[in-house]
Amino acid sequence: MTLKTTLLASAALLALSTAARAEGELHLYIWSDSIAPELITKFEAETGTKVTVDGYNSNEDLLTKLQAGATGYDLVMPSQHFVRIMIDQGLLEDIDAASLAAFQQVDPKWRGQWWDETNDYSIPVAYGTAGYTVNRDQYKGAVDSWSVFFEPSAELQGKIALLSYPDEVVGAAQLYLGVPFCSENPDEMKKVLDLLMAQKPSVAAYTSDNIENRIGGGEVAAHFWWDGNSMKTRANDGANIEYAMPKEGLVGWIDSLAVPKGAANIDNAKAFIDFMSTPENATVQYNYYGHSSPVALDLAVAKYTPENAPELFPTVKVEFSRACSPAAQDLVTKVWTQLLQ
Amino acid sequence: MRADFRIWGLLPAWVIMGFTLIIPIGIVIAVSFAARGAYGGFDWALSGEPYVQILYQVGWTDELEFNPQYLYIIARTLWLAAITTLICMAVSLPVAYYIARQPRAVKAALVYLVTLPFWVSMIVRVYAWLMILGNDGVIEKALVATGLTSGIDSLLFNDGAMLVGMVYSYLPLMILPVFASVEKLDGALIEASHDLYANRWVTLRRVILPLAWPGLMAGAILVFVPCLGAVLEPILLGGGKQLLMGNLIQTQFGGGRNWPFGAAIAVVLMGLVMIVLMARALRDGGRHDAA
Repeated sequence: MTLKTTLLASAALLALSTAARAEGELHLYIWSDSIAPELITKFEAETGTKVTVDGYNSNEDLLTKLQAGATGYDLVMPSQHFVRIMIDQGLLEDIDAASLAAFQQVDPKWRGQWWDETNDYSIPVAYGTAGYTVNRDQYKGAVDSWSVFFEPSAELQGKIALLSYPDEVVGAAQLYLGVPFCSENPDEMKKVLDLLMAQKPSVAAYTSDNIENRIGGGEVAAHFWWDGNSMKTRANDGANIEYAMPKEGLVGWIDSLAVPKGAANIDNAKAFIDFMSTPENATVQYNYYGHSSPVALDLAVAKYTPENAPELFPTVKVEFSRACSPAAQDLVTKVWTQLLQ
Repeated sequence: MRADFRIWGLLPAWVIMGFTLIIPIGIVIAVSFAARGAYGGFDWALSGEPYVQILYQVGWTDELEFNPQYLYIIARTLWLAAITTLICMAVSLPVAYYIARQPRAVKAALVYLVTLPFWVSMIVRVYAWLMILGNDGVIEKALVATGLTSGIDSLLFNDGAMLVGMVYSYLPLMILPVFASVEKLDGALIEASHDLYANRWVTLRRVILPLAWPGLMAGAILVFVPCLGAVLEPILLGGGKQLLMGNLIQTQFGGGRNWPFGAAIAVVLMGLVMIVLMARALRDGGRHDAA
């Protein structure tokens, strides 16, 4: 009896989950908390489409999941170098992005870039930089160079935190040392390792979680971080922090909306991309997310300006992370493993 | 007839075990012998390279050299798991003994309290320690309030903080089996021990400890095994300054884009767990034979 009930219940569940693949659905797999909830609600109201949202915290999570054959997602949000990898690996659907209304809203400087030369696969939705933030209650010195962070003075001993994975951190060290991104030269990468090893005694933690509290509350005095997050913690929580503008440059990223291969609701996904890119909605998104927008905004309503959010308007050069060859990636992993061995 | 039922009656269990445990483990083992894909993933090809990589690496000057770094990581993981297990054993015995000596209603309430943390997500429980140990945290505030000090450095991001988190997370897994064996302990045996002029220490060592031993061993396995795969506490409380096997595997599947190597380390980790379990099973088997 109970067994029968259980079987029936499972059958019913299976039937339900199959129905969930049908028309009128849109399944997003995007950076955690990256799209304004009110836009999701609005899209559902306007189109009658039921939207579900899953979040991830690193490009690697997304790539790994798609490679492992995750199905059921209609829209993903990879950064530029992962757009490139996913296109090359055949993981994205050709949606002829240049023909979408959204494409007309994209700032021409973001069109036809190396990660999607023909604009077939992706529409950018947000961009920004990775650098470091200092807590001004703890550290009063200048923040015009990566040397403050990578070769810290006594004042910052034991008060520095980095991310728990190498992607942007190694990029920043490369900018500081003048080593090209994705270097396949072991000598150059050895220099990166030496720099990080020498910094390690001053490092309190290598962790990517809970950064707001750690730097805002003064648990550490300097933290590797992103522009928009730093800005929001300063503006919304009143934290006395400053996002550095190191003269050697910042590590750039740009996230795009793209459709994974085999998605069930491609038309809904395209409709959502167009929806996100109208000036009105893009501005709502900008005000929520706090990262720069590659599509045109309604400047009368846009909350962040160079005056109140200097974090978003870098005054130094920005170098975008590349899709590294396996040889170069191995060197990055080697640096990181030896650093933390 | 009955023997038949014993086999096919367990069919659902076999199916679930097969699909959710045996087959996935088989896949992990297969991947550990595969060739890595350029951008993560893997290609089917027989290769022992991931296992070679655990011991040897291509050095900065391009020659194959012995590289003990992964052995250090494995040793560190075993060490941390062992220390955590020992502390849990030392703490759980008096706690379990105390609970077992309470009246029935109090006992039930105390056991319930021990299991209570399991209802809360592991991440939330570890975050709670951030608030206790951190800057301006519970401990610092308490010390300042008593006037003992005007403020202390953060207690976070060191091995001690990590160990506190690990012991806290896994202690209930130790207390429950120890409690189960201590509860059955016959008070008359302790009285007898005293009657025979054993002092408290001798009674503990010769009577209580041997009788609690099966519980301590069961708890040791329950604590030691998950400790080997710990990821959260080392990063959030320990500061992630040194890799453990769990983080190492995560790195290889993620940013490292080397699934076969990650799978190979996972297989080694699994092998270690199996050695522990088999050693225990063999010892038990031996004891039963002797008896």
